[in-house]
Amino acid sequence: MNRKTFLRFTGLSNFVMISMMIFPLGLSIWLGMHFMTWNTINEPEFVGLANFLEVLSDPKFWAAFRWTMWIILITVPAHVIIGFVMALLLDQVKGPMRPIFITGMLLPMIVVPVVGSIVFKKLFEPAGLAFWFFRVVLDQQFVFNEITMKTIILAHTTWLTTPYAFMILFAGLQTLPPEQIEAAAMDGASRFQQTLYVVIPHLRTLFMLIFLMSIMDMFRLFDNVFVLTGQNPIYNADSLMTYNFRISMMVRRLGLGNAMAVLTVIAILVVLIPFLIFTYREQIEER
Amino acid sequence: MYPVKNPIARFFIYLGLTFFFLYSTVPFIWTVLQSLKTNKQANARTPLFFFKPTFESYREIWLKSTDENTTMIGIGLLVVILVLIVIGFLAKYIPRYSNYINGGIAGIVLLIIWTLPNFVEMAEFYDYFLNSVIVSVGTVVISMTLASLSGFALGRYTGLAAVVILLTALAFRALPRMGFILPYYWMGQLTGLYDTNILVIITMVALNQPFSIWMLRSFFRDIPYEIEEAAMIDGANRFTSFLKVIIPIAWPGIIATGLFTLLLAYHEFLLVKILTQTNTTLSVASAQFLGGRSVALAVSLQSAAAVSATLPLLVVVLIFQKHLVKGLAAGAVKG
Repeated sequence: MNRKTFLRFTGLSNFVMISMMIFPLGLSIWLGMHFMTWNTINEPEFVGLANFLEVLSDPKFWAAFRWTMWIILITVPAHVIIGFVMALLLDQVKGPMRPIFITGMLLPMIVVPVVGSIVFKKLFEPAGLAFWFFRVVLDQQFVFNEITMKTIILAHTTWLTTPYAFMILFAGLQTLPPEQIEAAAMDGASRFQQTLYVVIPHLRTLFMLIFLMSIMDMFRLFDNVFVLTGQNPIYNADSLMTYNFRISMMVRRLGLGNAMAVLTVIAILVVLIPFLIFTYREQIEER
Repeated sequence: MYPVKNPIARFFIYLGLTFFFLYSTVPFIWTVLQSLKTNKQANARTPLFFFKPTFESYREIWLKSTDENTTMIGIGLLVVILVLIVIGFLAKYIPRYSNYINGGIAGIVLLIIWTLPNFVEMAEFYDYFLNSVIVSVGTVVISMTLASLSGFALGRYTGLAAVVILLTALAFRALPRMGFILPYYWMGQLTGLYDTNILVIITMVALNQPFSIWMLRSFFRDIPYEIEEAAMIDGANRFTSFLKVIIPIAWPGIIATGLFTLLLAYHEFLLVKILTQTNTTLSVASAQFLGGRSVALAVSLQSAAAVSATLPLLVVVLIFQKHLVKGLAAGAVKG
């Protein structure tokens, strides 16, 4: 395929991406340098880097950043481990039960995230199943406070993201060459050793893909935190994105919100760079 | 790996799987149960598991009037839609022209959804549902058209430009929505497109491009070049051969990618929340509807709304479920 045909085929897509992604990102940086509220939306006032400095000296921003880091630190390994166990177990099952299990396990991914969060929260409200469980089995009244709310957020985030890890790892397990396992079994490796030394190395790239993708996705965590906390500040459970939303849409400082978004973009790019280099090498090799 | 033979170990495998199955489904199953109760039953201090189901909550969510006749028409039309979906599901087993049949059924279902409010007075919830359908279908159709062209070229072209585009797309796939949405909001306000489905569709297509071109590219790359060459020797130009030869081969991959795009578009919350005010989709509407800070809705009604918002998507995903896992195995995992 020559260059001209290539450009013709990709032209529309490139146009959309340049005009709706690269241009807005530039605009975001530019608007981040302006003082701008909803009332002065048509006459932004240039203030230079003041917004960026204001964000960096805002303790609430750092609190949101730390909490987002905790979410990453806990939910990312948790969902990969649960997803991997699910995939390994399901790999043992053949026949008509398999699609039933798959459908059930993919359900958290299909349910609209916002609705899923509400449903999850309802479990802990007076008419819910978990509330009843706490009252009858643990003999305690369940109350929403900072600790329980943060636990619920962690649990729901893990619940929500597990299907992705499960699906990718399960699909990866299907590509495992049987000879490798056979050879390991011949050498007397136990099932645990086979998993540790044959299966996990085979899925190495997939694990890396899931880890990097989910870390980057966690930076963007918004829907469930937004709904579960009900935008109530008493829980101190704002993630980076919900805090950004609060500043832009409730405090109505659009310029400050843009500056914060740009800073989050920079944080994500730091995580992304090794991944980009890895992909670049792979693509160059492939040619 | 080889299946475990030991019966005790197998028992524990099934036990574990059942646990994870329940872990994934219990919140939703519980909501379905709640939605079928009367409000008094739903608020019971001890959860009820056996009761006489009622569809009253669903009627209240979807239909405006309480008149018996219109209720019957509404239910009748819903039954028609369900039957059509079942036929669509069975069309897989009709060997020939099944694509046309599926397409026709999808068209009829969309037409019924579109014209239903003309016959039956539907509640506000239906307007949001309609918006969701418009946004999802619009996003999937436009996004797939652009991304198929681009993904095909990216899979074939070996120049440096392809690598640059792919890497840029990858970087943009990872960036937070907030980085783009506030400028979109600003642009929407300036152009007057704020609070319209058009703006939501345009932005959604753009945000889904990176993912779509990556996934489709991996499908197109696996199609042997010789197939296309043969068509071109027969006198087709590259575009005709792409349309007539390549697309039918890559169709399962396009369906899988389209399904993921559909999920993304139907789920999207933050973007729609900021870019619309009254003309929102179900995702945002249900948060306002159920978030329950302003008006405390009855628990059974809330549950019915939650199930209603999810069920259409669940039906579509169930129909195409095979493609989802297969597509992922073929595309994303290998690439």
